[in-house]
Amino acid sequence: MLLMLICLAAPVAVRAADAPSFTLPELETGRMLSLEDFQGQVVYVDFWASWCGPCRKSLPLYEEMRQQLEAKAFSIVAINLDEKRADAEQFLARHPVGYTVLLDPAGESAAAWQIKAMPSSFLLDTENRIVRSWAGFTTDHLEEIRSEILALVD
Amino acid sequence: MKFSPWWTDWRRLALFIALFALSACAHVEPWERGRLAQSRMALVEDPLLSAMNDHVYTAKEAASGGTGPAGGGCGCN
Repeated sequence: MLLMLICLAAPVAVRAADAPSFTLPELETGRMLSLEDFQGQVVYVDFWASWCGPCRKSLPLYEEMRQQLEAKAFSIVAINLDEKRADAEQFLARHPVGYTVLLDPAGESAAAWQIKAMPSSFLLDTENRIVRSWAGFTTDHLEEIRSEILALVD
Repeated sequence: MKFSPWWTDWRRLALFIALFALSACAHVEPWERGRLAQSRMALVEDPLLSAMNDHVYTAKEAASGGTGPAGGGCGCN
């Protein structure tokens, strides 16, 4: 029983007010970006990897959402957790996106944000506070995400 | 020479088994499952082919439901 408890111990969820900071290189330019660079905007942070099945669906849908909300003070930051950069590049060649993609092969940001599933996403307000989070992705999430974003940017 | 009572030895044995089992217990974080997601790590390499093989096998052997939980051979599902 004790062993089972040790094995199944789930991490504690990130508290509503905390958005752990990160400083990670951007895939395209190699420029280091941190969460503070997006302060003043509503930010949707998505943790993804090329091997994650639902990510194949979610990333192109997020790109559609970005295009629809381009005029708003809103950014999408996709943090890639692939061990190899080439896997992310290959994925994005098939599913091109216009939003910021950061690389974190060591998964340090994922650990800091205590993610429980792949993909996981977080909606942050203009003060970089977590408003809502989603573990996993289904197309039903998209409408929820869109309405939460619109409630924050309008 | 002093011998330990039997239950003390039993506890020691249980402790040894528990510690031994701990070495096989590893928590793989969700973002570390890239290798586990590779097709070569799948228990069934080709799910479609496997389902087809099961279908043929159960038809030939009149063993519907014998390869999985669904169906009891009644022909009703």
